[in-house]
Amino acid sequence: MTSALTETARGPSAPRAGGGASRRAKRSATGRVSPLILVFVFVPFAVEAVWVFWPAVQGFWLALTNWDGLSAPTFVGFGNFSDMASDPIFRTALKNTAIWLVLFGGLSVIGGFGMALLLQRERRGVGIYRAALFTPVVFSLVVTALIWRVFYQPDGLVDTILRTIGLGDFVQPWLADPDTALYAVIVPALWRQIGYVMVLYLAGLKAVDPALYEAAKVDGASAWQRTLYVTIPQLKGVNSVVLSVIVIDSLRSFDIVWSMTKGGPYHSSELLSTYMYSTAFQSTQLGYASALAVVIFLLALAVILGYLIRAFREET
Amino acid sequence: MTGLAADRRTFLKGLGVLGAAALVPGCATSTKSPGSGSAATGELSLQSNLSSEQAKAAMEKLVAAYNKTGGAQVKLNTVASEIFRTQLPTYLTSANPPDVYTWYAGSVADSYAKKDLLLDVTSVWDGLGNYPKSMQTLSTSTNGQKIFVPTSYYWWGMFYRKSNFAKWGVTPPKTWDDFLQVCRTIQGKGIPPIGIGLGDTPWVASAWFDYLNIRINGAPFHRELLAGRGRFDDAKVKAVFTRWREALPYFDPKGKSFPFQEATSALLAGRTGMFLIGTFFADSAPKDALDDIDFFQFPIIDPAVPVAEEAPTDGYFASRKAKDPDAVKKFMAWLATAEAQETYVQNSSGTAIPANPDGKAADTALVKKGKAMIEGAAELTQFFNRDSSDALQPTADAALTKFLDKPDQLDQILKDWQVAAEKVFTA
Repeated sequence: MTSALTETARGPSAPRAGGGASRRAKRSATGRVSPLILVFVFVPFAVEAVWVFWPAVQGFWLALTNWDGLSAPTFVGFGNFSDMASDPIFRTALKNTAIWLVLFGGLSVIGGFGMALLLQRERRGVGIYRAALFTPVVFSLVVTALIWRVFYQPDGLVDTILRTIGLGDFVQPWLADPDTALYAVIVPALWRQIGYVMVLYLAGLKAVDPALYEAAKVDGASAWQRTLYVTIPQLKGVNSVVLSVIVIDSLRSFDIVWSMTKGGPYHSSELLSTYMYSTAFQSTQLGYASALAVVIFLLALAVILGYLIRAFREET
Repeated sequence: MTGLAADRRTFLKGLGVLGAAALVPGCATSTKSPGSGSAATGELSLQSNLSSEQAKAAMEKLVAAYNKTGGAQVKLNTVASEIFRTQLPTYLTSANPPDVYTWYAGSVADSYAKKDLLLDVTSVWDGLGNYPKSMQTLSTSTNGQKIFVPTSYYWWGMFYRKSNFAKWGVTPPKTWDDFLQVCRTIQGKGIPPIGIGLGDTPWVASAWFDYLNIRINGAPFHRELLAGRGRFDDAKVKAVFTRWREALPYFDPKGKSFPFQEATSALLAGRTGMFLIGTFFADSAPKDALDDIDFFQFPIIDPAVPVAEEAPTDGYFASRKAKDPDAVKKFMAWLATAEAQETYVQNSSGTAIPANPDGKAADTALVKKGKAMIEGAAELTQFFNRDSSDALQPTADAALTKFLDKPDQLDQILKDWQVAAEKVFTA
């Protein structure tokens, strides 16, 4: 909106600066955008087009086909999508993804926000706590998975602790039991995500004007009221970032599940992402896998666009 | 924050424009992929999935030995086995594919031959008159061409520690009833009799399915079933599971949680009694423990069924688009010689047996016994995925691990398995 204004304002001034020669003036008028900027825009776009957009578009097309990766794909229309309706593994994966979104997303927001509130004030040694909470973010998820698999293994740390505190009856094959596998994977995923969300909120809290708190204090607001009526409304911008991060991270959560359970035992901890991967690269049903990818894409888009549109409306 | 929102909208708009621009070039699925093969420079490329340390070193020695013979120079390209498996279709369909590949004999090779992607190496087989009939059959495609050159095989068996069996006072059983008796005795000593490792390696359970099926219904039925010409909810398949259920109480409950490598450790440490596994387990076992290891043949259930054994066969095939087919065939003919196979076997972990009957296997009692068992078998099968496809394997993993967990739901499990298998066969 504003850019159009500046352009028209700058337009007539350009020839004057050019020294009066009409040919040069013309050229500089059409070439207002410097070639360097064009290069900066179009070279990355070309790279992106080949490596991101083009495969993505192909994915949409493949979702409408049956393809084994060897022969030519055969067009089946929306057959893959109607197959999903009757696919029990898809339903489990969808349900698990919803559980994941709620538990992983919800708890990491609550946990991350709580930690940020606790650790926002500069006290002695607070840096150590912040660093400790952030450390898991530094580890690769595959490493995290390895560590937690050792915790969960039979007679491992978790079992030992449960036995020591007299809860030996709760000992289970955590990752091998279909009732516990999904939750056993959510815990390490949260262990990591809470640190990440905490950092986002800490940054947000730093940006809140301290004068607002002072004013609230003067008005006699309690700590709880200050959090509720000052902090949270002030963090609106951060919230939208956190929400996007959480939704995208939940829907693309793959590495931790794959390296801990591979979606097993017998598909009980399958997420849409792991199901997509195993359908594509283990069962080589690339058409069906692409259809699953489209579903994941639409889900992410729906959640995020829904939020963005609402946020945008509120602001204008 | 208003500025941010406006930016976001422009950003989304821009994204739409860029996306539309990306759409313009067209819409088709041409499997173009960067070929890792070499141009026709008198050099052959060999794509290998033998990425474990010992096997990789053995392959390097093998290729170096061939390059000294003065034929076309072979360039070895070792790829991690999981990547190799998922990329193989891409390699073979690319415009400029690698020439020669390590892979498995039987149905898994034939599936590529059916798509006309493999080089006909019938002429190589003219010089392989001493190979047994079973190897020939495994290397022949549906349309009668030889498409594969086998170089080694290994066997599956019920492995145990000799010292532990002596301590528990049990002897290797021959029949199913004897086997269950042995299980009861070992369980009486407080040890889980049957080890298994399903966490991360659920395919290990397929060995039990394969063996019970070839012992009860015979190898031909097994092969037909795995080729999609039978049904998993068949009463004959159900009979397999009914038998299996008799042994279920003797399985190590912890086996669900760890992979077969840890199940190997459990066996060696005496925490389980026996373990149905392929000889590759020896790769992750300490050498001194191996001297105490022995195996027995999977127990006979129905004496009327011709005895079949699992003998997964490894070897090579070549791309139909190989730049220099004559050089490829010369190389594959060399790979089929006893000398080449001995070079590989001596430098690798040593439990593989050369496919060439004249090739000498490692001189240990264990390998001799294994070789004798395979040679005495009336029929050979490969393994679940090799007799069907890698695509069918996950359906078996889901069905079998569920059965081990919830044997009561057998009917539903078999029904689900059939549905999942049909999807794979029609994909």
